[in-house]
Amino acid sequence: MLSRVADALYWMGRYLERAENITRLLLVTEDFSSETQGLAEDLAQTAWKDMLAIFPSAQLTREITPFAPLSVPYLHAFFTDQTNAYSINFSIRKARENARSMREALTLEVFLALNEVFRSVEVYERKGMPDLPAFRDALGATHKGIFTVVGAIEHTSTRDEGWHFLKLGESFERSYRSALVLRTKLPALLAAEARGDAPLYYTQWRTLLRGLSSLENYRRVYGARLEPNLVIGFLLFDADSPRSLRYGASIVRDYLAAISGLAELTAPARIIGKLHADLRYDDEAQMRRGDFAGLLDHVVGELAKTHDAIATQYFVT
Amino acid sequence: MPEKKAFDEAFDGSGTARQHYRPLVSILESFTQSEIERRERLQKLSLMDQGITFTVYGEKEGTERIFPFDFVPRVIPAREWERLQAGLVQRVTALNLFILDVYQGQKCLKDRVIPPEIVLSRKEYKRELLNVIPPRQIFTHVVGTDIIRNDAGEYLVLEDNCRCPSGVSYVLENRNTLHRVFPEFFKYYPVRPIKDYPTLLLDTLLHAAPRFSEKPVVVILTPGMANSAYFEHSFLAREMGVVLVEGRDLIVEDNYVFMRTTRGKQKVDVIYRRVDDDFIDPLTFRRDSLLGVPGLMNVYREGNVGLANAPGAGVADDKSVYAFMPALIRYYLGEDALLPQVQTYLGARAQDFAYIRDHAHQLVIKTTGDSGGYGMLMGPFASKKEIEAYVGQMKKTPSNYIAQPLVELSAHPTYVDGKFEPRRVDLRPFILYGESIRVLPGGLTRVALRPGSYVVNSSQGGGSKDTWVLAAKGA
Repeated sequence: MLSRVADALYWMGRYLERAENITRLLLVTEDFSSETQGLAEDLAQTAWKDMLAIFPSAQLTREITPFAPLSVPYLHAFFTDQTNAYSINFSIRKARENARSMREALTLEVFLALNEVFRSVEVYERKGMPDLPAFRDALGATHKGIFTVVGAIEHTSTRDEGWHFLKLGESFERSYRSALVLRTKLPALLAAEARGDAPLYYTQWRTLLRGLSSLENYRRVYGARLEPNLVIGFLLFDADSPRSLRYGASIVRDYLAAISGLAELTAPARIIGKLHADLRYDDEAQMRRGDFAGLLDHVVGELAKTHDAIATQYFVT
Repeated sequence: MPEKKAFDEAFDGSGTARQHYRPLVSILESFTQSEIERRERLQKLSLMDQGITFTVYGEKEGTERIFPFDFVPRVIPAREWERLQAGLVQRVTALNLFILDVYQGQKCLKDRVIPPEIVLSRKEYKRELLNVIPPRQIFTHVVGTDIIRNDAGEYLVLEDNCRCPSGVSYVLENRNTLHRVFPEFFKYYPVRPIKDYPTLLLDTLLHAAPRFSEKPVVVILTPGMANSAYFEHSFLAREMGVVLVEGRDLIVEDNYVFMRTTRGKQKVDVIYRRVDDDFIDPLTFRRDSLLGVPGLMNVYREGNVGLANAPGAGVADDKSVYAFMPALIRYYLGEDALLPQVQTYLGARAQDFAYIRDHAHQLVIKTTGDSGGYGMLMGPFASKKEIEAYVGQMKKTPSNYIAQPLVELSAHPTYVDGKFEPRRVDLRPFILYGESIRVLPGGLTRVALRPGSYVVNSSQGGGSKDTWVLAAKGA
């Protein structure tokens, strides 16, 4: 397969996954923000500011005005603002741009579904959203639209090299972004334990799980009881949850193996293989040590190296 | 504005539907206005959702537009098509022989069938390719010949496109769209299918492979997403199951062409290039080209890659050469041209130039190198000032211009702003030259959507229609 096409498929997968992540995080943060802003405005504000740490070069383009809801400038910046490189609009646009550059490598259904969600986001941008319920509605519809694209990819694509590159991009973005979410939110959450405001404290843990679409999955394993250590263990080391870091590393490793063939150990496969082994075999020691910030820095760093190695191995020719 | 003098494709002089349009007219009459409007909305939505767009130059970068589609199909009876087809096969045969002659021997120039200066001064004539003859001596693998009908309903050739004729993807998509939105139309007509075009095209391209190879690798070379015909490039790649490459994906080594893949280099045997000659190889033609492949022409010269269409083929679709086509057909085939064409005055000839200068207000003047309706003066519709400016420009390089009398294009019922109105149309059939010459039964009918307009180009407000060629009875 052409390196350029593989590159475009990989980035299409990343941008689609990114758009889905942003949509979900906006919906979850907006829920948390409306629930807590009267009780503890500082927490609501922090939750929104965290978005800027999870998507590091994102910027707010609208000023925060005193009486407007706290979330509006963030929703604007991360949903419709084309100039923000981490908005849903920007990500969908980029996914479609990549898709257009190798449309022949996709099935018609995939392109049609992506084109449709692109056009609906264009309309939201043009018409603007008058209030928060309108934002929620539009975000909900966009979320469904993205899932339709993902469904079309799953149901209509042949499992060839192109598909593996697309899924590699998707799984890489998922792991990387989950690691950034955890790195941003975990230290503050662990420090907040002392504050003692139990319902609010658990709301934050619940929000963290929802932000990584893992709440239901967690409950299936541990029930409704939210134990910080169990939540951390689940999000970092669970073997089956699609958003745990260990699972993410294993999937990235598997797609790389499918691309190169099992016999060949490429540079990116080495890096991700080692990271997966850390998460797979060192989980108990890591939990005992409790240095989660250090661990997450390591995970983010190794994932970044994996991306660079993928680009060198397959895209730069 | 009613098209007063134009030949009407669907209705005769008394306003009665021609025989082959009667079932269609009856079906359309059975629809209510609101039903038609609903279907038209569906059709527009379907084109936008599918991203069947073209890119407009000169607007904000990357502006995508849908190519307007008019749902009233053009119907061509079997017997009319047979004549057209025979004429097109004859013409493409002669065009190819002419190109072969120009690059090998130049007999037609020595015999003065066409003045050498007309051919040798064209920028489409590539002296670098003298005696470089493609496999099986085929230069023009894909030709799109533009056909119009004059006020008597006679089919005339308006121009030949021997380089990278585009539009065939719309031919196929228009048929799909019409099937979906107005399935009723097809019930009473034996419409010849066109869906196997990609298969025929792939056969044609495989035939252009340089030497026997068990499974030649065919690719389409596109200038990229910003090109106005990018949708088509991508569409054809998908339909044929071949790789769509850009110049940067190809590399020349040891006089072979390779594409850069995730598993290293892979050899390429045939390139269906949708990049103009000038940009195809910066080492041979334009040095500033970023679209081409450095060294590609050397590989071609060595016979290690097939290029469709062959470089240099553009010399045959030059608007000045067009004027000599009837003579060239007679010269190479010993036959009279089966399809007549429009009388053409050459800026290069002194007496013709004087005529053009004095009659500019009655003529359509075109630059020889442009296409897509660019660089053209419609004399009868231009102001005195515009004519003076254009003629002033023309005086500088008269040989770059030709002129033709304004031919009334035929008119066809078209649904515009809630009404059926006649609008001018032309027709671009597609001809493939592989093992034999085959004409796709159909073609791109382009329609000028503005009332009174003669300009059918998509870049200038034109739209398109589905074109039905009917099967002969008992076929």
